[in-house]
Amino acid sequence: MDIRFGKEGNTLIVYLDGEIDHHTSMMIRERIDSRFLMEPVKNILLDFSKVTFMDSAGIGLILGRKSKAASVGGDLKIRNPRPEIRKILKLSKIDSMIV
Amino acid sequence: MKPINKMKIEFWSISANESFARVVAASFAAQLNPSINILADIRTAVSEAVTNAILHGYPDEQGIVQMECTLYPEHIEIVIQDFGKGIDDIEKARIPLYTSRPELERSGMGFTVMETFMDSLEVQSEPNKGTKVIMTKRLI
Repeated sequence: MDIRFGKEGNTLIVYLDGEIDHHTSMMIRERIDSRFLMEPVKNILLDFSKVTFMDSAGIGLILGRKSKAASVGGDLKIRNPRPEIRKILKLSKIDSMIV
Repeated sequence: MKPINKMKIEFWSISANESFARVVAASFAAQLNPSINILADIRTAVSEAVTNAILHGYPDEQGIVQMECTLYPEHIEIVIQDFGKGIDDIEKARIPLYTSRPELERSGMGFTVMETFMDSLEVQSEPNKGTKVIMTKRLI
């Protein structure tokens, strides 16, 4: 899993490239959380354009980061998930977070 | 119905093997040329079952996880088994959003994903003997 960061206004953009499962989610969580603390931002946008797989570990990851953003008055959104990832987001009732 | 192919592997309960197991199961199922969507469902369900075996079967130690795949003319049966801690209350574990490991940011959606993405799901478990998950999926 490769992670790159960008910033637009008060939003941290996280470009994820690879697979999200229990194995990779721990590292992704640490990378996002430490960057979110460093940057003067309150929102998080997860760019899923290059995410090739996600299981329910990704749901925990997303909800945890949403909670971090909410703790500073911000929000979390997801963009460009593949159809199979959209399916698991919908099953978990968080597909409304897709922009 | 008579099987047309069968395979069985076992691996250590370490998280790096989650991707290994789902790739192997999907590759085996691919012999019947199922759709990409069906293969994606199998990958996701296997990942959930193997993660459960690793996290909940062996929370404090390393153990062995077995995966057995049997191919039939129109469907696949996948059995994932650990020999660890077992599940005290299977019905409770299958409730959507229930997790016994909230500190790990687990969503509690593992069994719900398996049930939704596969055609059938059976869970057998006994405390201190382990857990066996049996799933089937129609391939054509």
